[in-house]
Amino acid sequence: MVRGVPPTARILTAFLITATAIFMLVPLAVVMLSSISASEFLVFPPRGFSLRWYGEIMASDAYLKAGWTSIKLALVVTVLAIGIGTPTAIALYRFRLPGGEALGALFLSPLVLPTLIFGIGLLVLFSSWGSGPSFTGLVIGHLVISLPYVIRTVGAVLADADPALEEAARTMGANVWQRYRYVVLPQCAAGMAAGGFFAFNISFDDAVVALFMRAPDVETLPLRIYSQLEFSPDPSVAAVSTIMILLTIFLVFLIDRLFGLKRIA
Amino acid sequence: MARLQIDKISKSFGRNEVLKGLSVDIPDGGFVSLLGPSGCGKSTLMRLVAGLEQASGGRILIDDEDITGLAPEHRHVALMFQSYALFPHMSVAENIRFPLAMRGKGSADEQRSRVEEALDMVQLGQFAKRLPKQLSGGQQQRVALARAIVARPRVLLLDEPLSNLDARLREDMQIELIELHKRLKLTTVFVTHDQDEALSLSDSIILMRNGVIEQSGTPEDLYDRPVNSFVADFMGGSNVVPARVSGGRLTALDGAIDIPAGDMPETTTAVAIRQEHLRPVSADAAPDGAILFGADRQTRVFLGSRARYRYQTGGQVLHALVPGEHIAAADMADCLSVDPAKLRPLRD
Repeated sequence: MVRGVPPTARILTAFLITATAIFMLVPLAVVMLSSISASEFLVFPPRGFSLRWYGEIMASDAYLKAGWTSIKLALVVTVLAIGIGTPTAIALYRFRLPGGEALGALFLSPLVLPTLIFGIGLLVLFSSWGSGPSFTGLVIGHLVISLPYVIRTVGAVLADADPALEEAARTMGANVWQRYRYVVLPQCAAGMAAGGFFAFNISFDDAVVALFMRAPDVETLPLRIYSQLEFSPDPSVAAVSTIMILLTIFLVFLIDRLFGLKRIA
Repeated sequence: MARLQIDKISKSFGRNEVLKGLSVDIPDGGFVSLLGPSGCGKSTLMRLVAGLEQASGGRILIDDEDITGLAPEHRHVALMFQSYALFPHMSVAENIRFPLAMRGKGSADEQRSRVEEALDMVQLGQFAKRLPKQLSGGQQQRVALARAIVARPRVLLLDEPLSNLDARLREDMQIELIELHKRLKLTTVFVTHDQDEALSLSDSIILMRNGVIEQSGTPEDLYDRPVNSFVADFMGGSNVVPARVSGGRLTALDGAIDIPAGDMPETTTAVAIRQEHLRPVSADAAPDGAILFGADRQTRVFLGSRARYRYQTGGQVLHALVPGEHIAAADMADCLSVDPAKLRPLRD
């Protein structure tokens, strides 16, 4: 404990940390425990023990199809977000662009603007083009809300890096492509991984944009869960959620192994 | 290895003129220090030679080839940055191999042996596989040096390479730099703001201020024969005393110094008196023909083999450097004396 901190502040701090932990972790625990319930309904505490709901999911065409759609969507969004966000961050943080600050603010604006309104706008726009909701529409929607994360994480890495490195590479004979290939991109790698992780999660988790872009043949996992909850709230919902939580934990672990979370966070 | 000529080079950033048409000629294999206070333009001059800045006027030539407009990657001029600029994601060996790989110099085997040779030269053979962040500051500095010399650049530029090291390490590195230069004979430009470093390392010094060269020459030239009060002051070791020459006489210190001017020019505005030439003496012990005047002793700093005294007379601070055997006598002294032949006239 730090000395000189008044006891009231200490108590308050301890209370806030505990409260945060409870409200962050307990809901996850509730979901995970409910998923192994033998009951027909989603209840807590779980009654009995059974893995039957995991079996139900695996046998459900609707869940599998939605899961596959979500994974496909998230992967496409991740690749595009990294592919577009990295050069954008390099341009914003390495070049002196005319109006660079305004551009930066524009690219980061999806962080603060309401996603709901963005979703409505996207739907109206796509409908006016006559195409209506589609997988492409979902990709574009998710790309817009996940790009700021890639730009931020890559930008943070670049802001920390010594700009003299690129000049040094130049004096050593590296041409512009070699400088990006061997100096700039390797430095960005950790930021790209972190940004990609955020992009994947945002797309995989999003229910708002997906709600407007939903079409009979394009249903994502969060929407499947939502409909299931509405019409027959059984523990299969909790089982799917548990799989999603485990997938996220696995991704965090993977990124930490490959790049080290400390370097990114 | 090459001759480096800088011909009336100028550089402005907007309205701010950083370099004002200065010329330098460094012979093949020369070791030159660019010396000056911060903001004098020495780093800009170096970046111009490396090609990282574009000149506003004038030319840069290497072996009579005009390289003024040539991109840095084609100049074959190595620059060692003050921050070392080691690639953090590459091992020590990969860092050093980079210039060879980028220029496609030799086969993979040849490159490997040149990297090993460079590592041995800076005594880091056993660290080849480490990452830069796993090394100490001094070791990182050696890696940067090895990387700068491995491709045998035509000109080697060193930007305050020793400024991030502690005093002890710095002296060791100075000696190593001299030995490396003797061995490789690379034309070297060394940027520093430390006059002692410039004096001990280089075979000639270019002292800059506000984008112009104040004086260039051998270390002895600048130290013993400063042309103006800025040089005398910057190189240290001298008292710079305002003075004037008129009617054939030189006067200074409110008339305490009043001697025949000899061939001192009328443009003289000050005289330099080396600290070791100023001797604290008793009024009756002054040598024949010496200038003698009273002064208030303020402090004495003992330096081991010598002591430095601080005197004041007529608002002017004077330092006298006294060898050990004279310290006892100097402690009793209330006057200062100096041989008039030792006064060196300075212009502004």
